[in-house]
Amino acid sequence: MNNSNFKIEKKKIDDLAVLSISGYLDAHTSPLLEQELEKSVKDGCYKIIVNFSDLDYISSAGLGVFMAFIEDVRQNGGDIKLTNMKEKVFAVFDLLGFPLLFDILNEEDEAITKFQGN
Amino acid sequence: MLLSVENNNSICINADSSELERIRKFVLNFAEKFGFDDITSNKIALAVDEVCTNLIKHSYKYDSSREICLQISTDDNQFSILILDDGASFNPSSDISLDMRDYLANFRRGGLGLHIINLVMDKIQYIPRSEDFPKNKLILTKYLK
Repeated sequence: MNNSNFKIEKKKIDDLAVLSISGYLDAHTSPLLEQELEKSVKDGCYKIIVNFSDLDYISSAGLGVFMAFIEDVRQNGGDIKLTNMKEKVFAVFDLLGFPLLFDILNEEDEAITKFQGN
Repeated sequence: MLLSVENNNSICINADSSELERIRKFVLNFAEKFGFDDITSNKIALAVDEVCTNLIKHSYKYDSSREICLQISTDDNQFSILILDDGASFNPSSDISLDMRDYLANFRRGGLGLHIINLVMDKIQYIPRSEDFPKNKLILTKYLK
Protein backbone atom coordinates (compact mmCIF):
# COMPACT_ATOMS: atom_id res chain seq x y z
CA MET A 1 0.00 0.00 0.00
CA ASN A 2 1.43 3.38 -0.86
CA ASN A 3 0.84 7.06 -1.19
CA SER A 4 3.25 9.39 -2.98
CA ASN A 5 5.04 10.17 0.29
CA PHE A 6 4.24 7.20 2.50
CA LYS A 7 4.62 3.47 1.91
CA ILE A 8 3.96 0.29 3.86
CA GLU A 9 5.53 -3.06 3.05
CA LYS A 10 4.14 -6.11 4.81
CA LYS A 11 5.67 -9.47 5.54
CA LYS A 12 4.74 -12.38 7.77
CA ILE A 13 7.24 -14.27 9.91
CA ASP A 14 5.38 -17.24 11.44
CA ASP A 15 2.63 -15.57 13.50
CA LEU A 16 4.24 -12.13 13.39
CA ALA A 17 3.23 -9.28 11.09
CA VAL A 18 6.06 -6.95 10.15
CA LEU A 19 5.14 -3.58 8.65
CA SER A 20 8.02 -1.59 7.22
CA ILE A 21 7.00 2.02 6.85
CA SER A 22 8.73 4.75 4.87
CA GLY A 23 8.30 8.43 4.09
CA TYR A 24 6.15 10.78 6.13
CA LEU A 25 3.49 9.73 8.64
CA ASP A 26 1.16 12.69 9.19
CA ALA A 27 -2.56 13.57 9.16
CA HIS A 28 -2.62 12.94 5.40
CA THR A 29 -0.99 9.51 5.39
CA SER A 30 -1.88 8.03 8.81
CA PRO A 31 -5.23 6.53 7.60
CA LEU A 32 -3.19 4.11 5.43
CA LEU A 33 -1.33 2.75 8.46
CA GLU A 34 -4.56 2.61 10.43
CA GLN A 35 -6.13 0.45 7.70
CA GLU A 36 -3.17 -1.95 7.75
CA LEU A 37 -3.22 -2.34 11.53
CA GLU A 38 -6.99 -2.77 11.43
CA LYS A 39 -6.58 -5.60 8.89
CA SER A 40 -3.94 -7.27 11.00
CA VAL A 41 -6.09 -7.17 14.13
CA LYS A 42 -9.19 -8.36 12.24
CA ASP A 43 -7.17 -11.31 10.95
CA GLY A 44 -6.32 -12.20 14.54
CA CYS A 45 -2.65 -11.23 14.22
CA TYR A 46 -1.78 -9.41 17.43
CA LYS A 47 2.01 -9.69 17.31
CA ILE A 48 3.02 -6.73 15.23
CA ILE A 49 6.41 -5.19 14.49
CA VAL A 50 6.62 -1.78 12.85
CA ASN A 51 10.01 -1.12 11.30
CA PHE A 52 10.65 2.64 11.04
CA SER A 53 14.03 2.48 9.26
CA ASP A 54 12.89 4.52 6.24
CA LEU A 55 10.45 6.78 8.06
CA ASP A 56 11.56 10.40 8.05
CA TYR A 57 8.74 12.07 9.94
CA ILE A 58 5.89 11.44 12.36
CA SER A 59 3.27 13.84 13.74
CA SER A 60 0.65 13.34 16.45
CA ALA A 61 -1.69 11.87 13.83
CA GLY A 62 0.81 9.03 13.35
CA LEU A 63 1.26 8.54 17.08
CA GLY A 64 -2.52 8.34 17.43
CA VAL A 65 -2.64 5.30 15.16
CA PHE A 66 -0.50 3.30 17.59
CA MET A 67 -2.57 4.51 20.54
CA ALA A 68 -5.71 3.27 18.76
CA PHE A 69 -4.55 -0.36 18.70
CA ILE A 70 -2.11 -0.95 21.56
CA GLU A 71 -4.70 -1.72 24.23
CA ASP A 72 -6.67 -4.17 22.08
CA VAL A 73 -3.51 -5.90 20.86
CA ARG A 74 -2.10 -6.35 24.38
CA GLN A 75 -5.43 -7.59 25.73
CA ASN A 76 -5.15 -10.34 23.13
CA GLY A 77 -1.68 -11.40 24.24
CA GLY A 78 0.19 -9.45 21.59
CA ASP A 79 2.08 -6.20 21.25
CA ILE A 80 3.10 -3.55 18.77
CA LYS A 81 6.88 -3.31 18.90
CA LEU A 82 8.55 -0.38 17.18
CA THR A 83 12.05 -0.69 15.73
CA ASN A 84 14.84 1.03 13.76
CA MET A 85 13.76 4.62 14.43
CA LYS A 86 15.83 7.52 13.17
CA GLU A 87 16.93 9.86 15.95
CA LYS A 88 14.60 12.69 14.86
CA VAL A 89 11.61 10.32 14.79
CA PHE A 90 12.47 8.85 18.21
CA ALA A 91 12.77 12.45 19.50
CA VAL A 92 9.04 12.94 18.80
CA PHE A 93 8.10 9.76 20.71
CA ASP A 94 10.41 10.82 23.50
CA LEU A 95 9.02 14.38 23.64
CA LEU A 96 5.64 12.94 24.66
CA GLY A 97 6.83 10.13 26.91
CA PHE A 98 5.72 7.38 24.53
CA PRO A 99 8.69 5.14 25.43
CA LEU A 100 6.85 4.58 28.75
CA LEU A 101 4.10 2.73 26.92
CA PHE A 102 5.71 1.33 23.78
CA ASP A 103 8.50 -1.19 23.40
CA ILE A 104 10.95 0.68 21.15
CA LEU A 105 13.91 -1.40 19.98
CA ASN A 106 16.97 -0.71 17.90
CA GLU A 107 16.61 -3.63 15.50
CA GLU A 108 13.77 -5.66 13.97
CA ASP A 109 15.58 -8.87 14.95
CA GLU A 110 15.39 -7.91 18.64
CA ALA A 111 11.62 -7.57 18.34
CA ILE A 112 11.33 -10.95 16.60
CA THR A 113 13.43 -12.58 19.33
CA LYS A 114 11.32 -10.99 22.06
CA PHE A 115 8.09 -12.18 20.49
CA GLN A 116 9.43 -15.69 19.91
CA GLY A 117 10.66 -15.86 23.46
CA ASN A 118 7.15 -15.20 24.80
CA MET B 1 -9.32 27.14 -5.60
CA LEU B 2 -6.36 29.14 -4.41
CA LEU B 3 -3.14 28.68 -6.29
CA SER B 4 -0.30 28.14 -3.84
CA VAL B 5 1.79 31.21 -3.46
CA GLU B 6 5.35 30.96 -2.23
CA ASN B 7 7.70 33.88 -1.79
CA ASN B 8 11.08 34.12 -0.15
CA ASN B 9 9.83 33.98 3.41
CA SER B 10 6.11 33.32 3.04
CA ILE B 11 3.81 30.65 1.71
CA CYS B 12 0.03 30.34 1.29
CA ILE B 13 -1.64 26.98 0.82
CA ASN B 14 -5.08 25.52 0.50
CA ALA B 15 -6.24 23.96 3.76
CA ASP B 16 -5.65 20.39 2.65
CA SER B 17 -3.66 17.72 4.47
CA SER B 18 -1.80 16.90 1.24
CA GLU B 19 -0.11 20.30 1.65
CA LEU B 20 1.37 19.51 5.08
CA GLU B 21 4.54 18.06 3.58
CA ARG B 22 5.21 21.28 1.64
CA ILE B 23 4.58 23.41 4.73
CA ARG B 24 7.07 21.31 6.73
CA LYS B 25 9.73 21.49 4.03
CA PHE B 26 9.31 25.27 3.88
CA VAL B 27 9.77 25.59 7.67
CA LEU B 28 12.60 23.02 7.84
CA ASN B 29 14.57 24.79 5.16
CA PHE B 30 14.47 28.10 7.05
CA ALA B 31 15.06 26.56 10.48
CA GLU B 32 18.14 24.65 9.32
CA LYS B 33 19.57 27.70 7.54
CA PHE B 34 19.01 29.75 10.69
CA GLY B 35 21.20 27.30 12.61
CA PHE B 36 18.90 24.88 14.41
CA ASP B 37 20.10 21.27 14.43
CA ASP B 38 18.26 18.52 12.57
CA ILE B 39 16.21 17.38 15.57
CA THR B 40 15.16 20.89 16.66
CA SER B 41 14.32 21.91 13.08
CA ASN B 42 12.14 18.81 12.78
CA LYS B 43 10.35 19.68 16.03
CA ILE B 44 9.66 23.24 14.83
CA ALA B 45 8.25 21.84 11.56
CA LEU B 46 6.19 19.42 13.69
CA ALA B 47 4.72 22.29 15.76
CA VAL B 48 3.70 24.11 12.56
CA ASP B 49 2.26 20.87 11.12
CA GLU B 50 0.16 20.45 14.29
CA VAL B 51 -1.18 24.02 14.01
CA CYS B 52 -2.08 23.54 10.33
CA THR B 53 -3.61 20.10 10.97
CA ASN B 54 -5.81 21.61 13.70
CA LEU B 55 -6.86 24.46 11.39
CA ILE B 56 -7.72 22.05 8.56
CA LYS B 57 -9.65 19.73 10.86
CA HIS B 58 -11.30 21.97 13.43
CA SER B 59 -11.39 25.54 12.10
CA TYR B 60 -12.00 24.79 8.42
CA LYS B 61 -13.66 21.38 8.84
CA TYR B 62 -11.79 19.98 5.84
CA ASP B 63 -12.94 22.74 3.46
CA SER B 64 -9.86 22.77 1.22
CA SER B 65 -10.93 25.96 -0.55
CA ARG B 66 -9.90 27.84 2.61
CA GLU B 67 -6.43 29.27 3.04
CA ILE B 68 -3.54 29.13 5.51
CA CYS B 69 -0.60 31.53 5.18
CA LEU B 70 2.78 31.37 6.88
CA GLN B 71 5.50 33.95 7.14
CA ILE B 72 8.91 33.40 8.69
CA SER B 73 10.96 36.16 10.26
CA THR B 74 14.24 36.14 12.16
CA ASP B 75 15.96 38.57 14.47
CA ASP B 76 19.19 37.91 16.38
CA ASN B 77 18.58 34.51 17.99
CA GLN B 78 14.81 34.62 17.46
CA PHE B 79 13.05 32.48 14.84
CA SER B 80 9.34 33.25 14.38
CA ILE B 81 6.59 31.80 12.27
CA LEU B 82 3.42 33.84 11.72
CA ILE B 83 0.41 31.70 10.81
CA LEU B 84 -2.71 33.38 9.45
CA ASP B 85 -6.17 31.86 9.13
CA ASP B 86 -9.72 33.14 8.89
CA GLY B 87 -11.50 30.39 10.81
CA ALA B 88 -13.18 30.64 14.18
CA SER B 89 -10.83 32.15 16.76
CA PHE B 90 -9.16 29.66 19.04
CA ASN B 91 -6.25 30.30 21.35
CA PRO B 92 -3.65 27.53 21.07
CA SER B 93 -1.51 28.97 23.84
CA SER B 94 -4.23 28.42 26.45
CA ASP B 95 -3.16 26.20 29.30
CA ILE B 96 -3.96 22.63 28.41
CA SER B 97 -1.59 20.97 30.91
CA LEU B 98 -1.77 17.40 29.71
CA ASP B 99 -0.61 14.68 32.09
CA MET B 100 1.14 12.30 29.71
CA ARG B 101 1.41 9.48 32.28
CA ASP B 102 -2.37 9.57 32.67
CA TYR B 103 -2.83 9.94 28.91
CA LEU B 104 -0.71 6.87 28.16
CA ALA B 105 -2.02 4.78 31.07
CA ASN B 106 -5.58 5.29 29.81
CA PHE B 107 -4.72 4.65 26.17
CA ARG B 108 -6.13 7.99 25.14
CA ARG B 109 -5.98 9.21 21.59
CA GLY B 110 -5.88 12.65 19.98
CA GLY B 111 -5.50 16.07 21.54
CA LEU B 112 -1.70 16.02 21.44
CA GLY B 113 -1.26 18.81 18.88
CA LEU B 114 -1.56 21.74 21.30
CA HIS B 115 0.60 19.93 23.83
CA ILE B 116 3.34 19.49 21.23
CA ILE B 117 3.18 23.17 20.20
CA ASN B 118 3.55 24.21 23.85
CA LEU B 119 6.40 21.76 24.46
CA VAL B 120 8.39 22.70 21.37
CA MET B 121 8.04 26.47 21.09
CA ASP B 122 9.49 29.03 23.51
CA LYS B 123 6.82 31.67 22.98
CA ILE B 124 3.28 31.56 21.61
CA GLN B 125 1.31 34.70 20.83
CA TYR B 126 -2.25 34.72 19.57
CA ILE B 127 -4.22 37.67 18.21
CA PRO B 128 -7.80 36.80 17.23
CA ARG B 129 -9.23 38.37 14.10
CA SER B 130 -10.96 41.69 14.50
CA GLU B 131 -12.60 44.40 12.47
CA ASP B 132 -9.17 45.93 11.96
CA PHE B 133 -7.59 42.72 10.71
CA PRO B 134 -9.80 39.88 9.43
CA LYS B 135 -7.43 37.00 10.12
CA ASN B 136 -6.33 35.21 13.28
CA LYS B 137 -2.62 35.62 13.90
CA LEU B 138 -0.57 32.98 15.66
CA ILE B 139 3.11 33.69 16.18
CA LEU B 140 5.31 30.77 17.23
CA THR B 141 8.81 31.68 18.37
CA LYS B 142 11.88 29.56 19.07
CA TYR B 143 15.17 30.93 20.32
CA LEU B 144 18.49 29.66 19.03
CA LYS B 145 20.52 28.90 22.16
